[in-house]
Amino acid sequence: MTFTIPRRTILKGIGAAGLGTIIPGAIRPLHAASVAPITVVINQSPWFESFRKTVEAYEAETGNKVELDVNPFAGSLEKQRNSVRASEGQYDVLIMNSGWFTEMYAGGFVEAITDIDPGFKLDPDVYTLGDTIYYNAEKKSVTNDGKLMSIPVSPLIPMLYYRGDLYKEAGLSAPKTFAELEANARKLHNPPEMYGIVQRGARGPHTVAYDFYPYLYGMGGGIFKDQSAGDYSVTLNSTEGKEALDYYIRLAKEAGHPKTAASDQAEVIQAMVTGHSAHIMMVIAAWSQMDDPNKSAIVDKVEWAPPPSAPGLPTAPGLGHWLAGISKNVPDDRKRAAVEFLRWFQTKAAQLETAKAGGIPVNAAVYKEPIAEERKYRWMKPLAEALPHAVNIYQFPEASEVIAVLEVGLNRAVAGEVPSADALNGMSDEIEKIMAGHSYKTGKLDPIK
Amino acid sequence: MTASQASLTPARPGVRDSHKVMEGDGQRLWRWLTFGPALAMMVALTVLPIANLFLTSFQNVTWADGKPTRTWAGLTHYEALFSDQLFSAGLWNTLVFAFAAVAGQMVLGFAMALAVSKITHGRVFYRAIFILPILIPGIVIGAIWKLMLNFDFGLINKALGLVGLMPHDWLGSSETALLSVIIVDIWHWTPFCFLLFLAGLETLPQDVFEAAKMDGASAWQELWYITLPLMIPTIIVTFAFRLVLAFKVFDEVYLLTSGGPGTSTEVLSFTLYQRFFTEDKAGYGSAMSVAVIFLVALLLVIALSARRRTGATS
Repeated sequence: MTFTIPRRTILKGIGAAGLGTIIPGAIRPLHAASVAPITVVINQSPWFESFRKTVEAYEAETGNKVELDVNPFAGSLEKQRNSVRASEGQYDVLIMNSGWFTEMYAGGFVEAITDIDPGFKLDPDVYTLGDTIYYNAEKKSVTNDGKLMSIPVSPLIPMLYYRGDLYKEAGLSAPKTFAELEANARKLHNPPEMYGIVQRGARGPHTVAYDFYPYLYGMGGGIFKDQSAGDYSVTLNSTEGKEALDYYIRLAKEAGHPKTAASDQAEVIQAMVTGHSAHIMMVIAAWSQMDDPNKSAIVDKVEWAPPPSAPGLPTAPGLGHWLAGISKNVPDDRKRAAVEFLRWFQTKAAQLETAKAGGIPVNAAVYKEPIAEERKYRWMKPLAEALPHAVNIYQFPEASEVIAVLEVGLNRAVAGEVPSADALNGMSDEIEKIMAGHSYKTGKLDPIK
Repeated sequence: MTASQASLTPARPGVRDSHKVMEGDGQRLWRWLTFGPALAMMVALTVLPIANLFLTSFQNVTWADGKPTRTWAGLTHYEALFSDQLFSAGLWNTLVFAFAAVAGQMVLGFAMALAVSKITHGRVFYRAIFILPILIPGIVIGAIWKLMLNFDFGLINKALGLVGLMPHDWLGSSETALLSVIIVDIWHWTPFCFLLFLAGLETLPQDVFEAAKMDGASAWQELWYITLPLMIPTIIVTFAFRLVLAFKVFDEVYLLTSGGPGTSTEVLSFTLYQRFFTEDKAGYGSAMSVAVIFLVALLLVIALSARRRTGATS
């Protein structure tokens, strides 16, 4: 049996194919190729909605498909571990928190972006956030002499939220030092109607420890002597460490909320938006809730400032940022598709979309745009001021073990179960044991009294 | 020759009842064909995972280049359990939680079952009302009680305020956090005890009670000398069930306190979750899991042997 196609039909087909190629090109921008659909695993955070809207903008602009798998904080980590440890991964892009990105780098689960596409260029205005987007596998360090492993998704750091209206009434100015913060908090403390400050003192996956970092580092303390130099000697129970913890507890007891030891992020935000707190130290991602009339009783009344510090020291917010890395165990076409998404995501234009959607831009150029002058985005300038001083708290993959120790120890101190010195000495002993167990160069200070 | 004698008489060499042998082989084959899949399923789904858990408990698991490396750790993980402060806090709190919560549930559940068993009209209505908490998902229970116990606007503190008492931080205070979780668990699981006790009470022989009435027994004597002794097997089974389940408590603690403040509501399942999943210590977490399985099995054996001693049949 012979099978023939009339010449006219062939010509029609060629014509249709040609049009099919030209027309989509004409209605779609040419800077992004059509690539395989990708799946992103992400957590449900205050900034998630802005990420979702940014992804929708990417899909609309390029025609590429991105599926989001949204989880609670701890659930996201578990899903990522399960995926990257399988023979073939379920997720192409991993949205990794500052508490676990090194685990993914060091475990060999994330492929360097420049290994997938050697021509990939990081936008020079993108924040490198303590160089946490790089990893040097030979030195096992998070330093910029390593490969580009990820792109920042949300440059989260804690900022001081304070009630501008109350400050104006009381003739106060934004605190730069801890002494000023304490004085202002005490002045505005009028419980149960108004608490001077509400702190995030509950025990959780990364709760009270994260709340404590700006105090610890802002007073000149720290957890380790010098991580970048590979010296993991524990310095938590230094004089500065004790001063910071005593201050944190005093603030809670004398100008804070009586249930500080049980307050998590949601409750702290709730205290602020319901108008019962004069200050909170909170990740900047919560800014959009402050001015949302459906969620807030204090619309347009909140102002922002970098976290205070001790005189002579810079502000020192702990990085609680999120990074997007590409799984090693997914097919090559999906890796390339993931690179295309990240290439688009880091641009100023995409980050402007993020800002308008309530997110925090990772591109410094956005902070110089007219948008930063608008009243709605009044948090941008203080954030841009604080970001260069952000501290990368952990540079090793076993960070989750140290965080677990801090969560219990700090929470016990805040709850009044143990004195601050005992809590610090106990935590230091445990952290030193953990670091020694993983063969890091470590040591500890003499117990503090 | 009797049948028993015949079975004791050895078969003569060389003489075989081929029909019986074939029947026996057929029965054996049939038995394996029907039992085999269930056995294979049990081995695959229960025995192998536990064996793997047991093996992992003697190893360290690390990851590099996307691949796991297992190294022999011997008994170090089991030794480490004794110096793990979180584990010892979890063990103590779990014991307190399990015995206190189960005791409360048993007493309340028995009282409710006894009351409902005496009701002649509307028994179905009361039964439906009483079992409501057990039908509510754990996550909803967490939300309900977190709101109820909230310091600022919780119903409990509002009620205290109405009688002139100061509000209390139920979940944030080390003194009351574990008690609060126990109360929530009692509220959640009392219906389970109630249902089992009610089923037990409804199957008790009525002639004994009628005879007691004719002999002039009071309600108290009836309860003490007839109902309770007859209910002992049900009570022990309910206690064993609930104790094992209470020992595995996780959701209520996770949702209400996350083990805090400090370690005041740390329970074994939560410690296990922390070490195994959050900290990703597969070897140590496996050793802890084996220890918990051993403890739960021990509790079950003690409860079942107590039941056997009462002379109850299954």
